[in-house]
Amino acid sequence: MPEIAIQHINKRFGKVQALKDINITVENGEVFGLVGPDGAGKSTMFNILTTLLKPDSGEVEVLGMDVVKDYLQIRQVIGYLPGVFSLYPDLSVQENLAFFATMYKSSILDNMSLIKPIWKQLVPFKDRPAGKLSGGMKQKLALCCALIHKPKLLFLDEPTTGVDPVSRREFWDILKDIQHKGVTVVVSTPYMDEATRCDRIALIQNGEIIKIDTPNKIISNFRGHLFTMKTDDIFGLMQLMEQFELRCNYYPYGEHFHIAFYDDVEKALPAFEEFLQQHEREHGEIKPITPNIEDCFIELIQMK
Amino acid sequence: MKELRMILYKELIHIVRDKITLFLVLAIPIMLVLLFGFTISTEIRNAQIAILDQAKDGQSASLIDKISSSGYFQIVAYPETESEIDRDFKEIDIKLALIIPPDFEHALEKDKMATLQVINDVSDLNVASILNNYLLAITHDYINEYNNMGEETGSVEIVTNMLYNPESNSVYMFVPGIITLIMIIVTALMSSITLAREKETGTMNMLLITPVKKVYVIIGKVIPYMCLSLISTIMIIVISVFVFKMPVNGSIWLLLLLCIVFMFTAASFGMMISAISKTQIDAMMVTMMGLFLPTVLLSGFLFPLDNMPMFFQVLADVFPAKWFIIAIKDVMIKGSGFFDIWKYLGILILMAIILITISLTNVDKRK
Repeated sequence: MPEIAIQHINKRFGKVQALKDINITVENGEVFGLVGPDGAGKSTMFNILTTLLKPDSGEVEVLGMDVVKDYLQIRQVIGYLPGVFSLYPDLSVQENLAFFATMYKSSILDNMSLIKPIWKQLVPFKDRPAGKLSGGMKQKLALCCALIHKPKLLFLDEPTTGVDPVSRREFWDILKDIQHKGVTVVVSTPYMDEATRCDRIALIQNGEIIKIDTPNKIISNFRGHLFTMKTDDIFGLMQLMEQFELRCNYYPYGEHFHIAFYDDVEKALPAFEEFLQQHEREHGEIKPITPNIEDCFIELIQMK
Repeated sequence: MKELRMILYKELIHIVRDKITLFLVLAIPIMLVLLFGFTISTEIRNAQIAILDQAKDGQSASLIDKISSSGYFQIVAYPETESEIDRDFKEIDIKLALIIPPDFEHALEKDKMATLQVINDVSDLNVASILNNYLLAITHDYINEYNNMGEETGSVEIVTNMLYNPESNSVYMFVPGIITLIMIIVTALMSSITLAREKETGTMNMLLITPVKKVYVIIGKVIPYMCLSLISTIMIIVISVFVFKMPVNGSIWLLLLLCIVFMFTAASFGMMISAISKTQIDAMMVTMMGLFLPTVLLSGFLFPLDNMPMFFQVLADVFPAKWFIIAIKDVMIKGSGFFDIWKYLGILILMAIILITISLTNVDKRK
C-alpha cells in the first residue's frame, strides 16, 4: 500500500484552478519532492494532504485513510511544517516545543530520540523568544515541533525558503537523517538544486503535474543536446535568436546562455556558431554540459 | 485536561508578555469610571441665576430664600429692569432669570395662585431643561406649603416620590453602562482579536492539525480574557461604591453571577466574530460595528429605548447589552433578588449557547 495515494484531485479558488487532475503516489520511506515555481499549487497540495483543505473532486488517501472522512485520525500521525513561520513568536523556544508536545499528548522527553540532533543545536537558544531566532533556527524549531509526536509522515512546505545556503544544506542533512529513522517525507521547494536530494520528485506548474520520476531519470531523459556559453548581451541575443531557424530551445541561465539542440547536433552546432559570426556577436566558448533539473523542467514545459 | 491547562498557560504568557495591552485593559476601566464620574454629570449645582423681584414683599422674599437655600441655584444678580436681565445674560453669563410679578403676594392670597416668568439660556438644551425642572419643583413646593398654611386644604396635591435614585444621581446610570462596555471590549474584542491573530499567523492551522479538541482551543482562549474582564469589572464596582457612593442594594454574589453570565455571552459573541473574520483588522471592525456600536446606542445606556422607532427597539433585543443593563440596575439599585432577574439571566445564557454552537461548527470548517 502506498503511503499517499492521490487520484484525480482538482481544486479551484474562484476563477483560479489551483490544482488540475493531480495523480501522485508516495511510497513508504521515501523523500518525495514537489518542485515548482511560486504559485504552482504546492501549498494548496499540502493543505489538502494535511486535511486543512478539501479537494473539489478526486480522492486522497494518506496511510490508507481518506483525507475528507478520516481527517481526525490522519492528524494524529502526520507532522506539518507550514510555508510561513507558524509558531508563537512571544513564546520561548522551549515553551513552543513544550506547548506542541502537550497538544500531541506527548512530552519533550518521550521523543527525544527523533529530534535530538536538531534539539542539540537549539539548546543554547532555548529561552529566546521564537520570533527572535534566525531564519534557519526558526525552521529547525518548527521541525522539532512537527516531529515531537513521532509522526509516520512529515510534510514540509518550502522549509528552506528564506534560509541561508549553509543552513539549507544542514537542513537537508537533517531531513535525510529523519528519513533513515523511518519517517516518510514530503517536501516542496522552489529551488531546483534541492530537487536532486529527493528520492523522487514531481515537477509542478500552474497546478499541473508535468513529470514524476527520480531526479536521475528525469535528467537522463533530457532529449536535447545542451550547451552553455557566456555572453554580455543576453537580452539582445534572445531577440536575435528568433531568426535562427534550426529546432532548438534557448534561455538565459544566470549570466550564461543555455541552448539545447534537437536536430542533428553535428550540423546544428556549426550552424549556430556561423549564425553568431554572421551577426557579429561576441561570445565565450560554447561548451557542452550535462543538464540539471532546471534545464529538464524548462524542456518539459516547452514540450507541453 | 492537560491540553487545556497548557493552552491556558500559553494564553497567560501572551497576556503577561504584551505589557502595553495588559496595561490598557486594566487602566481603561478605571479611567472611564473616573472620567464619567467626575466630568459627566447630569446633576447641576450652584447654577448662576438672576432674580428680578418686582413684588418686593414678604412672599417673594421667602420664595427667593427657598430658591437660594436649595443648593441648586446661586443668585448672582438682582436686576431692576428687564433690560438689565438681558445684560446679565450676556455679561455675567447667568443660566436663568426669574421674574416675580409686582402683585405676587396679592395674587396668592386672592387666587391661591400666581404667575412667575422664567427666562432660560437654551444654548445648552440639557442644562436649561434640568434647571427648569429644579425651579419648577421648588416653586411647586413653595406654593403647596403656602396653601397648607391657610385653612383651605381643598387643592389637589401631587407628591412625586422618586424611588431608587432619589437624587437623580447620574452615577447610577453610567456605572452599569461602563461595566457593559468594558466587558464587551475585554472579553469579546480581545478574545476575537487574539483568535484572529492565530489565524493570521498560521498558528491556528498548527493547532488544528494536532489532535487537541477544538473546544479546548476556544475555551482556553476565552477563559483568560473572562478573568481579565472580571478583574476590571470588580475594579469598576469598587471605585463606584467607594468613590461615587453607588449603592449595591442587592446581593453582591448575584451581581457577580450576573457579570459572569454576561461575560460568557460577550465571549461567545467574540468567538462568533472570530469565526467569521480572517484577520485581526476584520475582527476589530466587526466587533466595533457589530457589537460595540449597538451596545452603546441600543442598550438604553445613553439613549432611552422607549422613544426609539419600533425597528430599533426590536434590534436592541437581539444584543445582550440591553438585558444585562436592565438586570444589573435591578440588582445594584433596586436590590432585586435572583427570582426577579432570572429571566434576563436566561436570555443571556440562551444567546451564549446559540453563539457558541455557531462558532464551534465554524472553527474547523474545511473548504
